[in-house]
Amino acid sequence: MNINTVTKNYDGITNEFCSYQVTYVNSNRVKSVPLDEANSDYQAIQEWIADGGVVIDNPPE
Amino acid sequence: MSELKVDKVSPRTGTYVSLNTVGSKNIIINGDMSIAQRGTSVNVGNNDNGYHTCDRWSFFESGSPTAVFTMSQSTDVPTGQGFATSLKMDCATAQGSLGASDLLRIEQRFEGQNLQYLKKGTSSAESLTMSFWVKSNKTGTYIAELNDSDNGRQISKSYTIDSASTWEKKTLTFEGDTTGTIDNDNALSLVARWWLAAGTNFTSGTLATSWQANDNADRAVGQVNLADNTANEWYVTGVQLEAGTTASDFEFLPYDMNLDRCYRYYQMVADGTSDVQVISNAVSYTTTTAYGVLSFIKEMRSAPSLDQTSGTGYYNYSNVGNSDTFDSFVIAQPNTRNARLNNGDTIAITVGQSGWFSARTTGGKIALDSEL
Repeated sequence: MNINTVTKNYDGITNEFCSYQVTYVNSNRVKSVPLDEANSDYQAIQEWIADGGVVIDNPPE
Repeated sequence: MSELKVDKVSPRTGTYVSLNTVGSKNIIINGDMSIAQRGTSVNVGNNDNGYHTCDRWSFFESGSPTAVFTMSQSTDVPTGQGFATSLKMDCATAQGSLGASDLLRIEQRFEGQNLQYLKKGTSSAESLTMSFWVKSNKTGTYIAELNDSDNGRQISKSYTIDSASTWEKKTLTFEGDTTGTIDNDNALSLVARWWLAAGTNFTSGTLATSWQANDNADRAVGQVNLADNTANEWYVTGVQLEAGTTASDFEFLPYDMNLDRCYRYYQMVADGTSDVQVISNAVSYTTTTAYGVLSFIKEMRSAPSLDQTSGTGYYNYSNVGNSDTFDSFVIAQPNTRNARLNNGDTIAITVGQSGWFSARTTGGKIALDSEL
């Protein structure tokens, strides 16, 4: 699937960046992706970023 | 109490059966296509790379192919062989002319830690024998490939579909590779590939029938174009990949054992087929967010992604005081055994009460994904 958007998730308890929320083109599928280098979705996000994708980042105030 | 007396104990004669030939000789998981947690039919194309129907079997395309296939779990099987299901690839949108870089194939991917007994990269490297049942209306040459992701090495074998629309059993032996050891970890090390279509970038060389360094031109020489007509279809089942130079009978596993092997890579939590499916217990941590802990059915390969459908009011948090709906979940602090979940968009709840998360509409679907 082609990635549409990638947004950083922040843990509401620790306020730390905890995972990515990924949406896909022409799909209602959403993946919440852990920060684990062994996770293949995490690897796909890193490739998407390397290809010029921009991660949406709205850290808690 | 009974008593057993013997005069002499002698070593057993004959062939010893090694551990790897008992119960787990098949490197392929779900080779009989009986497990399909995600669903039983979906159209794939336009970069729909990944897992869609039968567990552990992925669709992969590259280049800019326009072909679309319907990938499904089928009940069309070879007669009298004990199989109930097969994987079917049915051409829905044809592509008569392939671009040079276009490719379409079916794959299964393997962790290196499960392959150490193959002794790859040593002088004792084991051969691998692949056997499977296949059927297609399109006769001709097809390619099966093994690819060593750790060392960038490849080997391909061709097989011929001789008779149109007739189940045929194929057996291919790949000799052991004395070069390139496989990493002993949970990452991708080996891929088994069944090519369906290949542009000239993958057919212009000489088929790599012995292990060699990766060279695209040598991967799929002679491969027919299964995408060239919407009448085309390709079925496969009874897939086995085992150490040695001969194919043994397919290793049938009970449904629960087969499913258990698949759970390491994918676990459906709520499948969207009924109105309410409980996901986990949870607690109202703030007035807008509830947190729950999801314990996995089985330890997973890596910390999993939460694979979910998203839509207005697909999910619900319920407790004594009130309940509210939301569209998707967020995962936090995951490991291979459990994870914390919370609602991904704001809800209105009372702090301190306990409750539970559920999928509340047909279509609210949530699963754990740690595929390779």
